[in-house]
Amino acid sequence: MKNFIARCSIALFLCLPTIIVNAQQRKITGKVFDDQSKPLPGATVVVKETKTATVSDGDGRFVMDVPGAGKTILVTYVGMQTKEIPLGTQNDFTVNMQLAPGSLNDVVVVGYGAVKKSDLTGAVATLKGGDLNRTPAASVDQLLQGKIAGVQVTTGGGAPGAGATIRIRGASSLNGSKDPLVVVDGYPWGDAGNLKQINPEDIESIEVLKDASSAAIYGSRGANGVIVVTTRKGKQGQGRISFNTLQTVSFLANKPDIWRDPVEDATFANEAAINGGAIATDVPYIGIYRPVGTGMVYFPSIAELRGLDPNKPQWPVNTDWVDLIYRHPYSQNYTLTADGGSEKTKYAISGNYYNEQGMVIKNGYDKYTSRLNLEQKLTNAVTAGTNVILAYTKATGQQLGVGRSRIWPVYDSTGNYFRTSNTDFGNPIALANQLLNTAKTTDFLGNLYVNFRINSWLQFRTSINAKSGNSVQDLYDPKNSTQRALDNKGSYGSIANGSYFDLLNENYFTINKDFGKLHRTTLVAGFSYQKTENRFSSLTGQNFVNDVMQNENLATAGTMLISNSLQRFNLASWYGRGNYTFNDKYLLTLTARADGSTKFGANNKWAFFPSAALAWKAGEEPFIKQLGLFSELKVRGSYGLTGNQGISPYQTLDRYGSNKYFTGSVFETGFGPGLAGANDEQGRTIVGGLGNNSLKWETTRSLDLGVDMGFLDQRITISADYYIKRTSDLLRLKTIAPSAGYDQQWINDGKIENLGIEIGLNANVINQADFTWSVGGMFTKNTNKVVAMGESNQVFIGSLYESVRQQISTYTVGQPMFSFYGYKTAGIIQTLDEGIKAGLTGVDAQPGEIKYLDIAGPDGKPDGIVDSYDRTIIGNPNPDFIYSLNTNVRYKQFDLSMQLYGVQGGDVWDFQKMTASRWLQRWTPDNPSMEYPRANGTRGWRASDLYLTDGSFLRVQNITFGYNLHTGAVKFVKSLRVYLSGNNLYTFTGFNKGFDPEVGESGINNGAYPRPRAVSLGANVVF
Amino acid sequence: MKKFAYRYIVPALLGVSTLVGCSKLDEKPYGMINSQTYYKTADDARAAIIYAYSILPEVGYYSRGYYIITELPTENLTQKGDAGVGNFELDELRTTSTNPDLDNIWTYMYRGIARANAVIANVPKIPGMTDAERNQITGEGYFLRALHFFNLVRMFGEVPLRTTTIDDASQIPIAKSPIKDIYTQIISDLQAADSLITQPRISEGRANQPAAEGLLAKVYLHLASSKAAASPGYDFVANPDEFYAQAKLYAEKVVAGQSEFALTPALPDIFNIDIYKKAAVTEHIFDAAVDRSGDREGSFSKLPNMFLPADRPMTIAYNQLKPDSAKIDIGQGWGHFRTESGVYFSYADNDRRKTQLIVSSYTNNGQTYQLDISSSSRPFTRKFIDPARIGDATSANSPIIRYSDILLTYAEACGPTADGYAAINKIRGRAGIGDLQPGLSVATFRNAVIQERAWELAFEGSRLFDLRRTNTMEKVLVQQYGKVITSGAYFFPIPQRELDTNPLMK
Repeated sequence: MKNFIARCSIALFLCLPTIIVNAQQRKITGKVFDDQSKPLPGATVVVKETKTATVSDGDGRFVMDVPGAGKTILVTYVGMQTKEIPLGTQNDFTVNMQLAPGSLNDVVVVGYGAVKKSDLTGAVATLKGGDLNRTPAASVDQLLQGKIAGVQVTTGGGAPGAGATIRIRGASSLNGSKDPLVVVDGYPWGDAGNLKQINPEDIESIEVLKDASSAAIYGSRGANGVIVVTTRKGKQGQGRISFNTLQTVSFLANKPDIWRDPVEDATFANEAAINGGAIATDVPYIGIYRPVGTGMVYFPSIAELRGLDPNKPQWPVNTDWVDLIYRHPYSQNYTLTADGGSEKTKYAISGNYYNEQGMVIKNGYDKYTSRLNLEQKLTNAVTAGTNVILAYTKATGQQLGVGRSRIWPVYDSTGNYFRTSNTDFGNPIALANQLLNTAKTTDFLGNLYVNFRINSWLQFRTSINAKSGNSVQDLYDPKNSTQRALDNKGSYGSIANGSYFDLLNENYFTINKDFGKLHRTTLVAGFSYQKTENRFSSLTGQNFVNDVMQNENLATAGTMLISNSLQRFNLASWYGRGNYTFNDKYLLTLTARADGSTKFGANNKWAFFPSAALAWKAGEEPFIKQLGLFSELKVRGSYGLTGNQGISPYQTLDRYGSNKYFTGSVFETGFGPGLAGANDEQGRTIVGGLGNNSLKWETTRSLDLGVDMGFLDQRITISADYYIKRTSDLLRLKTIAPSAGYDQQWINDGKIENLGIEIGLNANVINQADFTWSVGGMFTKNTNKVVAMGESNQVFIGSLYESVRQQISTYTVGQPMFSFYGYKTAGIIQTLDEGIKAGLTGVDAQPGEIKYLDIAGPDGKPDGIVDSYDRTIIGNPNPDFIYSLNTNVRYKQFDLSMQLYGVQGGDVWDFQKMTASRWLQRWTPDNPSMEYPRANGTRGWRASDLYLTDGSFLRVQNITFGYNLHTGAVKFVKSLRVYLSGNNLYTFTGFNKGFDPEVGESGINNGAYPRPRAVSLGANVVF
Repeated sequence: MKKFAYRYIVPALLGVSTLVGCSKLDEKPYGMINSQTYYKTADDARAAIIYAYSILPEVGYYSRGYYIITELPTENLTQKGDAGVGNFELDELRTTSTNPDLDNIWTYMYRGIARANAVIANVPKIPGMTDAERNQITGEGYFLRALHFFNLVRMFGEVPLRTTTIDDASQIPIAKSPIKDIYTQIISDLQAADSLITQPRISEGRANQPAAEGLLAKVYLHLASSKAAASPGYDFVANPDEFYAQAKLYAEKVVAGQSEFALTPALPDIFNIDIYKKAAVTEHIFDAAVDRSGDREGSFSKLPNMFLPADRPMTIAYNQLKPDSAKIDIGQGWGHFRTESGVYFSYADNDRRKTQLIVSSYTNNGQTYQLDISSSSRPFTRKFIDPARIGDATSANSPIIRYSDILLTYAEACGPTADGYAAINKIRGRAGIGDLQPGLSVATFRNAVIQERAWELAFEGSRLFDLRRTNTMEKVLVQQYGKVITSGAYFFPIPQRELDTNPLMK
């Protein structure tokens, strides 16, 4: 790309002396700005129908003499839409260039090289950094939402510094990673999700490699798709300093639906206790004292709360927890960038400070990043460069609940935090002020590369890439402040340390050779070696004497716990890609990678991933050209294999476990078969450790059929793809016979299928000098299905929810991943008779209880009893489709853009369904609700479709209004842009109004961190 | 440039590519040991047996699971209203193969067997140890394997008899063995333990000869009484009297042949952690040992919380018969287990095992609260308390073999002989309920011993097996206490997970 620009510029400079000076000519001046309103050097300005041309200088300025015949100038720049400007009588011009979304000359970065967009054979989507929404975001991941067809981005809430879950063409692994691979400037960093080390403003472009043809070059890490991030580089002929800032105030987007009236709350609580069978003195609000710690706490009666008790004053407390906990957080973001370059040296330096306050008090996130990019031409043939990134983040605080009863004060009469019982850990102000919770990370990433141009068609590039970093989390829960403190013998303090180091050596040749006029070839071949080491240690103290030192001196704890671990793995790879173009119409791409990984079993150390793609530029055929309809028409098809090695190291080896046993005076340590892993959902230890020498990667076979169409000289472009992805050899924890003394073993077994359609569209409806209007959008429909899982038809996944005493999410053969499992219901029982007839017994059959359905029994037929046989698949959290619409209007110095993002279909398991406003509509003998059950404090809630709600929504994701000031009004300032950006402005949905319907991949609403409605004021200044 | 390429790039490439191509991608684990690096030294042998013991106080086994499985089905305990479905199935004797609690304890027992098998298979091959120590450790391995299989066969009947270590997934499929074969293995293991174990008890939580002999006595008694009562599954026993004699022989070794263990005179002292953990002579022959300084549940025990009501912190008198005795703070629990009226009202009013070992009232903040057997906060056993608990962490061991258990085993094995009467009357005398009526028939005497066991060993996981081996599940639980038995009366269903994953199971 750079070469291309350079060549064009040189060619144009050579042309300059030949400009004919016309006697009737006049002099015009102007300034060219890019889509970011930054001065654009190197833009070509041509007077239409003449040979008169010039190039804008480092400040984007141009001066030219226009011959008398000249009526119009054309301003062109690679990757930008050509601007046609009538000259009129004006002599000074401001030219705002727009990105050309469908430009065929655009260069698309793919793994180990770049190709012209028109020559793409695989399914690759591109997003320019400038198209990212201007809104506070700790990482670019969440900004990708709704931007690219085939890419689903979900965020689980609005916690400061939170990342996002990215799925490219659906999830395709059960236990391995489902995250795409992120490659930054050619360096594979790892799983996508929280790319916090890169300031989104430093991003030049993001390419998403979706099909096997494009992702196979990343072999055993390509099956989940690849996100290729390219950072901004300095450009020849410009030297500029720019300063960007974003100041944001946020608001609660969803008003919490909680009890507002203490009387209603208390009435409900009493009713729930009585219906739940509590004895008289256990009904909460009856005006009695109950013991807490060494004292007593008075629980008022409802009459007292109402002020109707003749012997007591009205209850004086009415605490507004929402007001105390939520705030209007103020967030700031500053970026200072210097970039530029000469013929030999190109540089880009940037620094960023990002500060995000949480919606919740005492919760925030700070981030500092800096970046240096430097490239030096050492000789005509040798270029060397480096890229260095430093990042530091700090997160403090945590989410706090606001659902506490307003009856209770923050402090008791002695000034201590008020508690209603010895196990009441729900006072959010106490938690906010007492708990220590900070997490800090530092990252260093760097690479050094040398590029050799061996001859006109052969290049060699070698690079050393390294990244390392560490994270520290400090936690302290003071005495009896939390359940965790209680579980840890009173008080809990810990320091968790993580560090990683990764080193990669890449070496590859690139051959670009044309044979005659008809045959063009590009070949890439190389190998790499990557070593990774992750280290973790944790120090925990329990039972401290007092809370003065918090976790500062863990050795003073009553009990100390230590753990540490290390993972290391190496990946050796050979890879190659060949592109062949015949007659500029027929394109063939063959790609392959062989990966050898230490993670794989001794019998399967090397994996091979080939792929092939064909494309036909039908639009170049005369018979299509004759139609005059298409400016581009290309048909693509690809098939190939990619892999997923998403398992931890050492899983192939036999490993022993250890445990301690008390022998009278000390604990002794023992070792033996059975390695205790993480606890399962029922809180018991899962034992593994049985080796598997044959363990290997997951293989995904993908077929992609696509078409790219352009109309009206690429003013309208449409790209559509159909794909089938079949993943086999799924890395799966097989349940093995417990009588063996083991629970699970990693094996390769099982199949998942994803198939879908994705469509991307862009239209430049109006494209005039002063007025442009573009519309874009995407549509993605993915259908996911678990095809086989070896011996099991169903496995439960995710947490065991205490409220329903089961896991609710499953992988079930024949169903989409994450399908919900539970009882079906038919409203609320109205009479005892109805309840008993439904197959329910005891309290469950009472009027006002939930009418669960008897749909099966031990032999598959309804047996008149509602029991565990009646559970079935009741919902699917995967959306039917997702879509987005972007539009951008620009008039003179003003611009206005908007993004809508929608998700259609997909059930949400709403654990927060019974909000206060719904409890007010609860079943009572006087209000025979069919929708909401009666109050019952001891109801054994069952996992059922009562919790399910349609999660469809359409969100006004972003609206930005900007003003670009770029006259010489202010000295030293080349351009200035100010804008107002609103994010998460409104959501159209039928979902529970107290919550955001976007709840994360598995579709469970458990009261996530509120996603703020953010209003930002931003400014970009270029000096 | 071409020269440059040939001179530098090509050799460099060859070098690196050779490195890549030849690296074997072998993996060396970090922070873990495995079969290649373990079972080499005497210390490894000691660690191997410690690991085998450490399964016992796990949550799924003697810290909670064992009591859920063995106490809920009987007239002793029921559970709180929001307990898991598995608890309800057990309590209401309608267990299914998907019962999570049965799955859990099955898993833990077999983990224990895998650990014991590793000791038995590897320790005898370790060089550089004295024969005495090698035998001691191996013997303790045999003891633990026998204990796990004895629990398994009493709970589930026919189960897979795994006596070798598993090194490869291909060894996993294995069929069930007949009950007879399982007992043959248990008896052979305990006889091996009896001959190999020579040291006195090394510490609390470790088994010695009396533990092996006591367990063997219980095994023989189970066989003898099951056959005598025609309990399902025990037809294979040829002659119950022969096994009663064996039970008597081994119980006698414990009752009369050693001096480390004896009856503790005062009932509260039996369950006083300071006494049973430290005294030279104790009633606790074999416990799953825990200590409140442990780092997680399984190292310490939360079992007391299962019994203690949840209302408020409680203070009780150490000896409830003497209100002026020392006050102890026993904290509060979760009220998970609720004492059933069946056992509560079965005691004589003056039975000290009720008056001293069941807490019916407590004080808090100077106020006295009575516990009502029909409410949610009921009288509860004080066998599992730790006044020095740290938070939820307690040092309350789970008794597995108690002297009084073996004394009653002895009495039952003897029958209505002078020795038999002497044994049971020691227990009754301590409880303050006087001697057993003399001159009972063999059957009536043995029934009296079973009833005595119900009182003496209540809440300790003995009752279910006593009812099963005397073929009285229906007679007692249904006819006497009004329960309904739907399934799993004599053997619980084998967990579905095992059936699904072990192709040779039917």
